[in-house]
Amino acid sequence: MIGMLRFTLLESLRQGTLLFYLAVSTIILLLLLLGIRLDDSNPNQLTLFGMPFFQKMASVNVVEMLLVMLQKQATFWLILFGIIASAGLIPSLLEKGTAELFLSKPQSRTTIYLSRSLGAVTGVAVNIAYFIVGVWLVVGLKLGVWQSGLLLAIIAISFAFACFYSVIGLVALISRNGLIAVMLAFLYTLVSSGLETRAHGLYRLWDNAIYHRTLDVLYYLLPQFDSMLSHTSLLIGRSPFGTGPAEFSILPFVYSGLSATLLYAAGCYYFQRQDY
Amino acid sequence: MDSLRAENLSKTFQIGLLRRRKVEALRSFSLSVQRGEIFGLLGPNGAGKTTLVKIFLSIVRPSSGYGYIGDVPISNTVARISAGYLPENHRYPTFLSAKDTLVLFGRLSGLSDAEISARIDPLLQRVGLADWKHVKIRRFSKGMLQRLGIAQALIHNPSVLFLDEPTDGVDPIGRKEIRDLLLELRAEGKTIFLNSHMLSEVEHICDRVAILNKGELIKAGKIDELTQSNAEYEFLLNRSILEEDIAKIRLIVSNVSAINNSMTARLSEPYKLTRVIDLLRSAGYEFHSINQKKASLEDSFIQLLTIPKDMT
Repeated sequence: MIGMLRFTLLESLRQGTLLFYLAVSTIILLLLLLGIRLDDSNPNQLTLFGMPFFQKMASVNVVEMLLVMLQKQATFWLILFGIIASAGLIPSLLEKGTAELFLSKPQSRTTIYLSRSLGAVTGVAVNIAYFIVGVWLVVGLKLGVWQSGLLLAIIAISFAFACFYSVIGLVALISRNGLIAVMLAFLYTLVSSGLETRAHGLYRLWDNAIYHRTLDVLYYLLPQFDSMLSHTSLLIGRSPFGTGPAEFSILPFVYSGLSATLLYAAGCYYFQRQDY
Repeated sequence: MDSLRAENLSKTFQIGLLRRRKVEALRSFSLSVQRGEIFGLLGPNGAGKTTLVKIFLSIVRPSSGYGYIGDVPISNTVARISAGYLPENHRYPTFLSAKDTLVLFGRLSGLSDAEISARIDPLLQRVGLADWKHVKIRRFSKGMLQRLGIAQALIHNPSVLFLDEPTDGVDPIGRKEIRDLLLELRAEGKTIFLNSHMLSEVEHICDRVAILNKGELIKAGKIDELTQSNAEYEFLLNRSILEEDIAKIRLIVSNVSAINNSMTARLSEPYKLTRVIDLLRSAGYEFHSINQKKASLEDSFIQLLTIPKDMT
C-alpha cells in the first residue's frame, strides 16, 4: 500500500498543476510575510507594503476576515487544480499496458484502489497544509494572531476532498477516461452546490413531492462537498457578508463520511469485478 | 511438481454496449506446466493466449474453471507473490528512471527497501541496463524497455515468469541475450511461460509448447512430438521415377512430389512408409537414401491451424 501511495503522490506532484499551485502559494506567502502589517494609525486596517489592503467590515475582525478570505480562495483554487491533477490518476493506472503491470503484483485491487485514492487526496492535502500552515505562521508572527481554527481547516478540507474523491474515483473507474472524470468532477461540484441550496433553487423548478424527495435522497447519498467547505470556513471565522451557515456543524462531515465510505466500497466492488 | 495448472478454464467476454454479444476467448482449457520448464504458448492473433496469462494473474476473471500457481489458487493474491509478468506493449510511468521503476514494482511485490536496493544493481547488470540506472525511461528505446520489463518481472525473484512477446522490438543480438537469460533462469529452476509469435525462437528454447486457436487447445507436447507428426520423407532412388509409379504411390499417400530420382512424400501414419518402400522395390527401384525431413515448428503450426479440427 505504501508503495502505491508514494508513487501516486509523486505522480500527482509531478503534474504541473499542483506544482503551479505550490509556486503561487509560495509567492503569496512571501508577499504576506514581507508586506503585511496592521496600520499603526488604524488597528482595523491591514496594509500590504504600506497600501491599504483590508478593512474591518461590520463586526468581523479584520484579521479573521483576511484568514477566511485566504482560506476560501486557497480552497477554491486547490479544488480546481486538485481535480485536474487527480481525476486522471485512476484512468492512467487502468490504461492498456499499465494496468497489467500493476494488477499482476501481489496486491489486492481494494488496496490498489484505496491507496491510489489516498495518494491523490494526500497530494491535495500536502498543498493545502503548506499554504495554510504558511498563512498561520505569517499571521501569527506578523500580526500576533495565532488562529488554531486554521490548522483544523487543513483536516476539514482534506477530509472534504477525500469525500469528493470518492465520487471522482468511482467515475474514473467506470469511464476509464481522465477527461470524462475531470468533466464529471466539475459537474459534481455544481450538483453539490445546487443540492445544498435546493430549497431556494432546484425545488422551484418543479413543484412535485417525488422530485423534491429525490433531490433530498441525492443530497444525503452524495458527499455534501459544498456544505463541508462552508462549515470549514466557520472554523476560522464568520463571513462579513453573512452568507453560508450561521454556526459550525459536524453533521455535513458525518453524512459525507458515510456516503464516501459507501462510494469507496462501491468502487472497490466494481474494481474487483472488472477485467483489464 | 506442477508450477502452473489450469483446469477447465473458460472465459466469455460480453462485448458491445447496446447490442451485447458473447465472445468465447477461452474454452475449457486444461494444462499443467512443470517446475523448471520453458513452456511456449502459440496461436494466431485472438487465439486467447494473452487472456490465459491474464487469468493466471487475476487481471481477467475466469468465467469458469480453476487455475493454480504452485498449489495456490489464482484467485488468492498470495499466488502472485511467486509470479513475475512482462505484458505485451507494457507502459511505464515515463517520469521514472530505471531504478525508480524497479523500486516501485519491488515495493508493490512486497519487498523491503533493503531487499530492493540489494537486487537492483545485479538485475540491471543482468539485463544489460547497468549504465542506464538513473536515466528517465522516456529516453529508452523499445528494446531497452523490454529489458527493463524483464527486470521488473524478476525484481522479487519469482519462481514463475509469464513473458508476453519478450523479444518484441529487440535487435538480433538483444534477442540472443534474452534467450540466453531465459535459459539461465530455467537452469536456476524457474518456470517460464512464454507467449510468442516468433516460432523459431520458441523452437530454440521451449521444452514444451501448446497451440491455441479460437480459445481451444489444439495440441500440446514436446517440440519433437509436434514436429515429427507432420514429417515428410525424401527418397533418393537409383533412377528417375515413372509417372505410373507415382500414380500408384498416390493411392497410398496423397501428398507426393518427384523430380528426377528424388521423391518427397508426406506420411501421416508410420505404416505407410513400409508400403511405399515395398511398392518402389517391387517396381525395381533401389534406394540411395531415405531421409525423414523434420518439419519446422512453423510448418506444424500452420498445418495444425489449417487442417480441420477432427483430423488433428
